[in-house]
Amino acid sequence: MAQIDTSGGGKKKKGAQKKIAIHVDFTPMVDMNMLLITFFMLCTTMIKSQTLQIVLPTNEDVKKEQQSQAKQSEAITLILDTEYEGDKPAIDAESGKTVHNIYYYEGIADTTFATNNYLRKEQFIGNVNHEAQGIRKILRSKNEQVMKEYENLKNKWKNKEITKEEFDKAAKKNASDSLKTRPVVVIKPGPNTTYEGLINAIDEMNINQISRYSIELPNHGDTLLLRHYEQAHGQTIIRPTVRAKAAAPAAAAEASTPNP
Amino acid sequence: MGKVKIKKKSTLIDMTAMSDVTVLLLTFFMLTSTFLQKEPTIVYTPSSVSEEKVPMNNLVTVLISSADKSGKLEDPAVAEGKLFISFTGDADSTLSSEKIRGMMLDEAIAIYNEQHKNNRITLSEAQKAEFRATNMMGVGFQDLPQVLSMSISERDKFMGDMTNPKVGIPIDGNKNRDGRLNDFQVWLKAIYNVAQRINNEQTEGLTAEERQQVANLYTALMRKGQGIAVKADKDTPFTTVQMVFDNLQTMKLNKFSLMTALKSENEPTQ
Repeated sequence: MAQIDTSGGGKKKKGAQKKIAIHVDFTPMVDMNMLLITFFMLCTTMIKSQTLQIVLPTNEDVKKEQQSQAKQSEAITLILDTEYEGDKPAIDAESGKTVHNIYYYEGIADTTFATNNYLRKEQFIGNVNHEAQGIRKILRSKNEQVMKEYENLKNKWKNKEITKEEFDKAAKKNASDSLKTRPVVVIKPGPNTTYEGLINAIDEMNINQISRYSIELPNHGDTLLLRHYEQAHGQTIIRPTVRAKAAAPAAAAEASTPNP
Repeated sequence: MGKVKIKKKSTLIDMTAMSDVTVLLLTFFMLTSTFLQKEPTIVYTPSSVSEEKVPMNNLVTVLISSADKSGKLEDPAVAEGKLFISFTGDADSTLSSEKIRGMMLDEAIAIYNEQHKNNRITLSEAQKAEFRATNMMGVGFQDLPQVLSMSISERDKFMGDMTNPKVGIPIDGNKNRDGRLNDFQVWLKAIYNVAQRINNEQTEGLTAEERQQVANLYTALMRKGQGIAVKADKDTPFTTVQMVFDNLQTMKLNKFSLMTALKSENEPTQ
């Protein structure tokens, strides 16, 4: 292929110049191309990062009358915590994932401990054998009405009755359907929670189609609950913050100036 | 018995076909590639099920450095929580990343100098050009002139050293609450102002097309919350990330996105 045939029809004339087959060696060309390919392969990003959108409330003071109150029966509070080994997040030997604990309670925290509304502990387990487990199971049961409709829509989409756009639109409408009983989730990352723990929690909100959730810092009442849980179960949950630099979240809030 | 004669064959392999293939592959990679942006530190983002892609243009990325993972440092947390900021404009348009960076820089310096009347900073044209060409920047305003005078390799080395207290945009330097913004807030305000101002069409010297592009930036920033992406390591404590969130909230940029990697979930069946 890389030769040029110059023999000219086969008949040899006497006295004709001897013709040499021209042969181009493509090996260096291939070498160079391979090098270039390697370079491009190493320097490119084929997978783009995803984004998770969040909306935080304003930092300005909101008057008590203007604050919207969630129904007690709909409220669920998750206090997040990450286990540490030394100054690194502890890793579960079996799954190879960081261990995040969730302490949750429904309704208003009962700091008098008169009733049985204590903290319960859960973890992010996800689905095991196609069945929601851990905190997902609890959130799912709380959002049952929405999830039921969501599954319907999903089946319709899978059976190609509706398009992806229609599905997305309907799912969004369904998640914020005020006629259905929907939970209000308060996510409270404790001082030792890693960023991954927070993302996991927001992820659960998206998976369980929970449209109303907020991220807050744990308050005094939560500390009381955690203390009580410690006493009841003989575990230590409240540990000194791993990073001395990030002492108190309140101090961080102090640092930010009011609006200019 | 005839002797089996082994024919001498030429060992030349025709490389033409091979060359064709490699050229095709090369063309494919060249056309599909988007280059990795140079970042001073590597972070491993947590994964989520969200399928939304990071926008290619009109994006402000806030990078939060993670604790040192090499194990060389006595206190790995020293390297944690350094802030870097990068501005990406529209790649194909007249309002390129460089122009956006230039506008943000001018605005930010104006705000900074107004607040620090005794400590003004001035940048030469060459330094400004350097800033426009740099993807990610992470130093306080006081150190900006010095860092921008460095050569590229010097600067990379400087910014890659997470133990250096000068690296990272100062975020908590305003404990005395004298009404001044910290350096990170100055940047945020500059972003806000630039987007706002051009959206209100008060800037002279921009063509209608450029205005449209800034309007897109404005919409991305303010309405959809896609304009600001926070990128942090999965093991970074929440308190460190919270500090950035808090500053964003204070600067009225309540809507933003968090960068994550893709995670697949096995679906529950019912």
